[in-house]
Amino acid sequence: MTAELQIIGKSAPRKDSWAKVTGTAQYTADIPLKGLCYGTLVRSPHHHARIRWIDTSEARSLPGVEAVLTSQDVPGSKTFGPFVQDQPVLAIDEVHHQGEPVVLVVAKSKAAARQAAECVQVEYEPLPAVFDPVEALQPGQPRVHPEGNLLSSYEVSFNDVFAGFAQADVIVEEEFSVQRISPAYMEPENSLARWNLDDSLTVWVSSQKPFEDRKAIAEVLGLPLEKIQVIGAVIGGAFGGREDSSIAILTALAAWAIRGSVQIANTRQESFVAHPKRHPARLHLKVGARQDGTLLALQVIVHMNTGAFASYGPAVGQLLTEVMPGPYRIPNTYIQTNVVYTHSPYAGAMRGFGSPQAHFAMESCMDLLAERLGMDPLELRRKNILKPGDQVSTRVGVDEGARSLVHYLDAMQEARERFRKIPPSAGKVNGVGLALAIQTMGLGAKVPDDSSHRLEWLPDGQILIHLGAPDLGQGLATVSEQFVAEALGLPFEALVTAPIDTNTSPDGGVTCASRMTYLVGNAMLLAAERLKRGLLEKAASMLKLPEGQLAYDRGAVILPDGKRVPASEFASRAADEGDPICAEAMATFPYPEETTPQHLPIGMPHVKFGFAGQIVRVEVDPELGTVEVKDVLSLHDVGRVINRAALEGQIEGGVAMGIGYALYEDVAMKSNQRWVDSFTEYLLPTARDMPDHIEIQVLEIPEESGPYGAKGVAEISLVPTAPAIANAVYDAVKIRVKDLPITAEKLIRMLR
Amino acid sequence: MKTIQVQLDVNGRSYHLSTIAARTLLDVLREDLGLTGAKDACGGEGECGACTVLMDGAPVNSCMVLIGQADGHQIETIEGLSQNGQPHPIQKAFVEAGAVQCGYCTPGAVIASKALLDRVPRPDDDQIREALAGNLCRCTGYSKILAAVHIAAEEIHHDR
Repeated sequence: MTAELQIIGKSAPRKDSWAKVTGTAQYTADIPLKGLCYGTLVRSPHHHARIRWIDTSEARSLPGVEAVLTSQDVPGSKTFGPFVQDQPVLAIDEVHHQGEPVVLVVAKSKAAARQAAECVQVEYEPLPAVFDPVEALQPGQPRVHPEGNLLSSYEVSFNDVFAGFAQADVIVEEEFSVQRISPAYMEPENSLARWNLDDSLTVWVSSQKPFEDRKAIAEVLGLPLEKIQVIGAVIGGAFGGREDSSIAILTALAAWAIRGSVQIANTRQESFVAHPKRHPARLHLKVGARQDGTLLALQVIVHMNTGAFASYGPAVGQLLTEVMPGPYRIPNTYIQTNVVYTHSPYAGAMRGFGSPQAHFAMESCMDLLAERLGMDPLELRRKNILKPGDQVSTRVGVDEGARSLVHYLDAMQEARERFRKIPPSAGKVNGVGLALAIQTMGLGAKVPDDSSHRLEWLPDGQILIHLGAPDLGQGLATVSEQFVAEALGLPFEALVTAPIDTNTSPDGGVTCASRMTYLVGNAMLLAAERLKRGLLEKAASMLKLPEGQLAYDRGAVILPDGKRVPASEFASRAADEGDPICAEAMATFPYPEETTPQHLPIGMPHVKFGFAGQIVRVEVDPELGTVEVKDVLSLHDVGRVINRAALEGQIEGGVAMGIGYALYEDVAMKSNQRWVDSFTEYLLPTARDMPDHIEIQVLEIPEESGPYGAKGVAEISLVPTAPAIANAVYDAVKIRVKDLPITAEKLIRMLR
Repeated sequence: MKTIQVQLDVNGRSYHLSTIAARTLLDVLREDLGLTGAKDACGGEGECGACTVLMDGAPVNSCMVLIGQADGHQIETIEGLSQNGQPHPIQKAFVEAGAVQCGYCTPGAVIASKALLDRVPRPDDDQIREALAGNLCRCTGYSKILAAVHIAAEEIHHDR
């Protein structure tokens, strides 16, 4: 099959890159709108407080001010949220976290809006706040929401964990914690909205889910969906963080209120405190094994800190629960995950969706266990990895993709030898560490997990793809174009992708969950087949020939006499007749009908999994406590490479994000009781912090249900990085850091 | 708010502006001249490099340059890099190497790369990392950006 493929697997250049390298790509803030006004938010300075009163009279009287809005001005639903509608559009009587929007000021200039915002008076009565998820569940703690601080709690067990521990020769029990991370995409949240003369609203968003945004805006404004058009602008990165409608809603509200055009852009500082983060968590693990290394039992109690609002917290908690045991066969398991409200910046979806937290704890524990057993950590893993047909914690079997794990261990064994021979820099100590990972694909069972896309044959013979879900910068449009080019035997240049627009695009759902290559690919292949059929039908009726006498070949219709007529001839006539050749298709994940006691209501179980392995060489400076990641080998089974450069780019970016998680990033509370809210204190990896070498090895074990055998890889690339680094740090200096990030300050303290 | 008169040379065109002194070069480029290639990603703190432009050939964070400081200086932005509709070799190399994902940091990274290559025609990895250390990118992990700078250096070298 490989030999026949023309464009699948090639590094087809992204067409959107030209606009991006020349500075002409229009991100939301770059779109020129006439008469644009600007919205600024007055945000809560308190972690928790009652609002006594709000006085907007002075702000309203200032020149250039168009509107000053509070919760009372919200015409429809005053709260929103994907699972629980607990998030106020603007604060209602109480604020739940520092940075919560309280008042929205709209003015003719940014300066006027800022000035007016400073004149808004809000009288707060500060209330006690709670920030730790374990503490928040103790009696007598302040409540974040009236129903209590426990948002959701999941228990999944299989067999008898007590019996498992009873048989164990060795038990390791440890507590781990992971910090709050910002997606920190480069484009802060941003939206534009225009109230149109026909009383409809057009909203430009930088979003992973324009159709969901439309729904949320309609509910908040009390308008029918048909009155709202949402257009996806070029997106400056997403990583799950743009599965949040808050800024789009506020911008729409502002445009509705002034019957005009408004932009609202979060500053980076606002982005840090008032937009979803990766969940911080505390994880208590107990693992039991036989002396020969066979895993017997795993018990885990997790407290995830979802902050002030639920956002995607319930679903993140389920996915964490699902992947908690890692890619291992464990006969007895008990996992309890508590998703807890606190008065902190809210957490939501972020690349990996619970999996990075689970793997840091589990893969650290595997190394701890190996040491207790006097075993090679690699051999301990080899003994316990999932094999095709084995079941994960939800009693769903893994398929042939699990064969990749053996390959990873072999490759890591070889790499370990190599890494160990590299001499460390002067004054530094070498350490080598590794980790494996499992990641789910798709949204999971019992939630709509489909994606629709449409193709249109343009009069000039090109194909226009109406992608139903946004390209986040990862190259979704490009791989879509490759799928269609391959399926129709057309040159890559003949494909064009339309920007997403809820008025014209099919609803392709949310771009997330490592599901798009799989779903979009399958939808494209089906749509391409239908498009071909549509072309032949049209040609048959125009030529007055039976359809069976015509054939399709690489952009042309083959007539009975063998003559080739370019598709453009039929496409242009069809378009002239007002009936262009179009085809739409929807793809879904193959979820099972039956459920087991290990299945949970929101998207659990998943049925398709990806596996990865990473081995890293670090150099630790024992005097400074600094850790430098020097070499990385990242191993992935992708089913089938669609675009090699894009694939490598995803993995390299994932490794970078994993390094940031391991070593630097933390939206922590500072001693002044404020959160870290700038790149001055929130350190992202720079070009200088990246390893000298990131080697990528890719396996292609075909995913039978995937397009050309492909499956998703977007999230898993960062999952093993942090535990591999923690294991390497231990290898270097025999210090086990169980709470991320492994900062120099922390390590030097522990070294002393 | 105090208004000042400034003269700027941007991408070879001369502009005379009357503007509020507290504004930055980035504000003026984006809002007055419609040159939106330079981006704000860090909130005007000079931490991210997305607003990098060349001032008299040297890379600066335009969010940290008050407009008065740019008075009389030559500014080159991402929009000025293409010549006669042809992209600059660095721009071509970024596309070719797959160094562009979301693209928000790209204009700044391309400009910082140009500043480097103007000064050091054949940089090694360390020199590139050093030159781009002020340009944050969250998507790529920088590997393909490094590759792009090498490709561009080669290309420019051959064209000479």
